[in-house]
Amino acid sequence: MDRSTNQRQRNFVAGLIIIGLLIIVIFGLRTARAFRQFHGHRPPPPFAGDSVETDVDLIRDWMTLPYISTTYRLPPDLLYETLKIPPRGNERKSLKELNDAYYPEEQGLVLELVKATILANQSVPTPFQTPVQQP
Amino acid sequence: MSDYLLTQIINYGAPLFGLILFLSAVGMPLPASILLIAAGAFSQQGFLDWFSLAVFGWLGAVLGDAVGFGMGFYARNWVSKRFGESPAWKNARDAFEARAGLAVYLTRFLITALAVPTNLIAGGSGIRFRRFLVYDSLGELTWIVLYGGLGYIFGSQWELVSDFISSFGGLILGLVVLGAGVWLLTRRLKAMENAKQNVPEA
Repeated sequence: MDRSTNQRQRNFVAGLIIIGLLIIVIFGLRTARAFRQFHGHRPPPPFAGDSVETDVDLIRDWMTLPYISTTYRLPPDLLYETLKIPPRGNERKSLKELNDAYYPEEQGLVLELVKATILANQSVPTPFQTPVQQP
Repeated sequence: MSDYLLTQIINYGAPLFGLILFLSAVGMPLPASILLIAAGAFSQQGFLDWFSLAVFGWLGAVLGDAVGFGMGFYARNWVSKRFGESPAWKNARDAFEARAGLAVYLTRFLITALAVPTNLIAGGSGIRFRRFLVYDSLGELTWIVLYGGLGYIFGSQWELVSDFISSFGGLILGLVVLGAGVWLLTRRLKAMENAKQNVPEA
């Protein structure tokens, strides 16, 4: 084995060890931080799919109105009415896209309006509930 | 990118999810593990069907891996010409072939950053496609059940799990790189020790 090959191999091994240590430090810190956040939360109880989501802080601007209406058990028309936009052509748009299309001068407005509508209407009976027959 | 893909998965469901996992397995830099956790949450919330997501996702991932294997297979002549029959290359190939099944299985869900290179190396090595496919299918199934299951269990809190899993995957990758470095260093020191012992005394 010549001298230059030997030197190259030594550099390669040293590089692997240094890069490995760097990755461990960076991702170790990130893992510890994520674990601390994760540790404070418990998964929802089993069969929580039947229950209604109530935490509006979990709403993100990539979500669509049909998705939010299913998750939070609200009639979709209510959300469209609040935002003063037609459902047609907007079902597949995210909250961010809706904001850019209808309220470009007010960033985050659609997200805030949706959150406020959900908070105001969560206790109101929705079409998902079984109708009670009047005598 | 993640936000755009999440919106589109909500809109187009399992077929698009399968396509994304396919493209990711072929080598496109897409956040497949995060999307898998999110898909588990969407099915828990009753918005998408978990069975379709699992089937399309699994098929997409396995097909993508098979394409990666194929690329490695057809590039093997070039690799052979480039590296020739050097002892280092032969050693590396033999070492991979001896542990190919385990390497393919573990890189599907534990060291996912190495999944695409492993597909290429597996295709370029002497391992048979059928053997690769068995370990790959099992590994992808483990990935889908494990990550999708976590998303399903945590539902709307899936982002917390996703942060933890992404960071933990990076930590495992770091340990693998460090382990490889230490292993090579140990081998080098042993070789130097042997060389010293074999030098005849003057």
